Amino acid sequence: MGTFPAALLVSLALAGAPASAPRPDPAHLAELIARAREQRLAEEVGWLRLGHWRRTLLGGWKSEVDGAQFFLAPRGKRDPAAELEATLAGFFDDQPRADELDDAQCRFPARFAFLAGKLGADLSRLPPRRCPRLEEFLARVHPQGATMVFSSYYLNNPASAFGHTLLRLDKAPEALGGKHFELLDYGVDYAATVDTRNAVLYAAKGLLGFFKGEFKHYAYYYKVRQYGDYESRDLWEYDLDLAPGEVALLTAHVWELGGTYFAYWYLDENCSYHVLGALEAAAPRLRLLDHVGRFVVLPSDTIHALFANPGLVRQVHYRPSIRTQFEARARSLSPPQLDLVERLARDPAAPVPGALASTDQAAVLDASVDLVDLRHARDLLLGKDPVAAGRRQELLERRAALAVPSPPLEVPVPADRRPEVGHGSLRLGVGGGVDRRGGGTVLLDLRLALHDLGDPGEGFPALAQIEFLPARLRWLPREGRLELDDASLVRVLSINPVNRFDIKPSWRMRAGATTVRDGGCAGCTAFAAELGGGFATADLAGALDLLAMGEVELLAAPGLEGAAGAGWRPGLGPSALARLRLGSRVTFLADARWRFLPGARPRASHLLSGVLRLHLARDLSLALEARHAPATRDVSALVLGYF
Amino acid sequence: MTRLSLALAVVAVLAASPALAQSDDTKSAIKGTPGRYGAAGCGLGSMAFGDQPGGVQILAATTNGTFGTQTFGITTGTSNCGPGVFAQGTKNFVEANREALAKDISRGEGEAIGALTVINSCGDSRAVGAALQRNFKSIFPTENASNEDVTSAILETLNGEKSLGCFRS
Repeated sequence: MGTFPAALLVSLALAGAPASAPRPDPAHLAELIARAREQRLAEEVGWLRLGHWRRTLLGGWKSEVDGAQFFLAPRGKRDPAAELEATLAGFFDDQPRADELDDAQCRFPARFAFLAGKLGADLSRLPPRRCPRLEEFLARVHPQGATMVFSSYYLNNPASAFGHTLLRLDKAPEALGGKHFELLDYGVDYAATVDTRNAVLYAAKGLLGFFKGEFKHYAYYYKVRQYGDYESRDLWEYDLDLAPGEVALLTAHVWELGGTYFAYWYLDENCSYHVLGALEAAAPRLRLLDHVGRFVVLPSDTIHALFANPGLVRQVHYRPSIRTQFEARARSLSPPQLDLVERLARDPAAPVPGALASTDQAAVLDASVDLVDLRHARDLLLGKDPVAAGRRQELLERRAALAVPSPPLEVPVPADRRPEVGHGSLRLGVGGGVDRRGGGTVLLDLRLALHDLGDPGEGFPALAQIEFLPARLRWLPREGRLELDDASLVRVLSINPVNRFDIKPSWRMRAGATTVRDGGCAGCTAFAAELGGGFATADLAGALDLLAMGEVELLAAPGLEGAAGAGWRPGLGPSALARLRLGSRVTFLADARWRFLPGARPRASHLLSGVLRLHLARDLSLALEARHAPATRDVSALVLGYF
Repeated sequence: MTRLSLALAVVAVLAASPALAQSDDTKSAIKGTPGRYGAAGCGLGSMAFGDQPGGVQILAATTNGTFGTQTFGITTGTSNCGPGVFAQGTKNFVEANREALAKDISRGEGEAIGALTVINSCGDSRAVGAALQRNFKSIFPTENASNEDVTSAILETLNGEKSLGCFRS
């Protein structure tokens, strides 16, 4: 079996395995090329996907892969047929190579499996090759299945604010005692190789496709530690129903992609896109990329695309983050026990009532260690907080000395947070309204992504708003005028409810443009940037969230009577936000902002708004809105659709 | 072209993003990538980062995947590696999972203990958990114990209690 590197794969794709000792036979190459032409194999979806060729606007082909080493034919990037024949020729090339990756059989095991299977190649007539590194890789990863992993939204880093997706190659359906220990599996993801520390360059290069994007693989535990422990992001794992041959082909294809690169486009050809592309290449029966957006591909789209192929997802697993784990532990404790958790997290030597059963003591200590981790995860990791590390050590020693095992932590799966039940990421709205001057208005609303506090809550974090390119146009027929009511490049709101264990500020930021609605230059469009921070309480009576903040903003427009007569004006002041949710169908939002405008005219401004959203279906809502500003009073109604 | 103009429009805003800087200190811990596919070898997930603690490697390598510079250079596995794999696999696991492992050992239960059970080819993870919990003080005598010392104390524990049935090949 060892003679052919990819024999392992081929045996899955091909009915007959090599029987006799291999004898290289160049005449067989001509036969295979003839068969490929006859079958028009180069036009088959399986081949096109392995090379990541896509139709160009002019009707030709172009591969998304940008690394030259991925192609054996000089015009391979644009010519699938030439690449196919060059690949076959490569398989017959028996020149000795110093590096096995310069040998086509070792370099392209997925192509080998695909072509040999489709063309009925007689492996005994190919030159034998040994590929120790490929064999070692396959033995190490030892794939028996594949899982798509979705790491939930992380607002503290713009690169992962929309979540992240990766593949996991599973070692076995069960490893030991019927339990599958996924920590020892491999995670495979596609990521940009960042070569700059300059934030401006980072953003520019990421958006404009200047970074190299590469497939990488890691022990899955690296991902669990990073996402779950240090960033407190829940992971959703989707076991895929793939045939053994498809799993093998996926692994082999990932090997092929591991040695090359793509241009990384932050918005569309990103981690989510290429992970789907790799999966699609391994299983041509699937249609995945057809189900993602044209301009922006989000990690949640990846999950929706999986579910667009019925039966593909076998099972969904939920891996709770450290925060979720702590909350689950805290729920099982009594109020006096919770007091004790807090006390121990500050003073690990604090006395524990002797009357407390050792299992209860264990539960309290387990929760306080989780609390220390939750508060200091990053500093503990980087060794920056020796005091917290000392406390943690003391708590762990105390816990171990109890010498009772903790029962496995049962965390209820938050089914309503599953990303696949969420609304579509693109939102379009149309509607009309009336303003104080008696004029009717027509409203057009567009948002490229993703979610605001008033949208249907299923499938999204309850207390986060992350929007990319939301914009509203307002047409005033009576005045024959079209205005940009408000638009943002990004708009983010992160609500962190204050509780006894966690006092973290909430914050909001946005940058964009807005129509000025006070005496500063009523009706003109101004550049606008806002940043605010404050404190929140959430889930009062299971329905009400409240947020109070201090905010600063900057408006700039040529006609603005700004600070000292300049065309820009800073503003600062308090704001308040309330959200009331009645069941999953009705959401009411109230927002009040007051601004002191130093040195400008007028001296102050304000904006009050109320929004009622009725969610008719997952992807359809009605919105009723009213607002009041010094120069505006209007009400409007819109229909919102999610795609 | 739509993509280009859209992208240009967003550059300015994301450029201002403050959170990017935080990854730099961890990123600098990365030493580089050996070879096109990296080093091959035994053991679990040893990353070519030099002397940084495993956790730092995690942040450095996988900040949402956008800061990694590793290619196919990370090794893992429990098969085909010959003698020494238990020790190497355990050490690599300890490096990356130390905080979680300490917690699970103190509790005598958890996924990290399950993983150690698999790596060292032991019988029953509950028995392994109880044995490690009993020896917590010798495995983690202080919060500053080196990964090497933690690893050898774990291996000693597993080796000392024959009933655990570890290290079967």
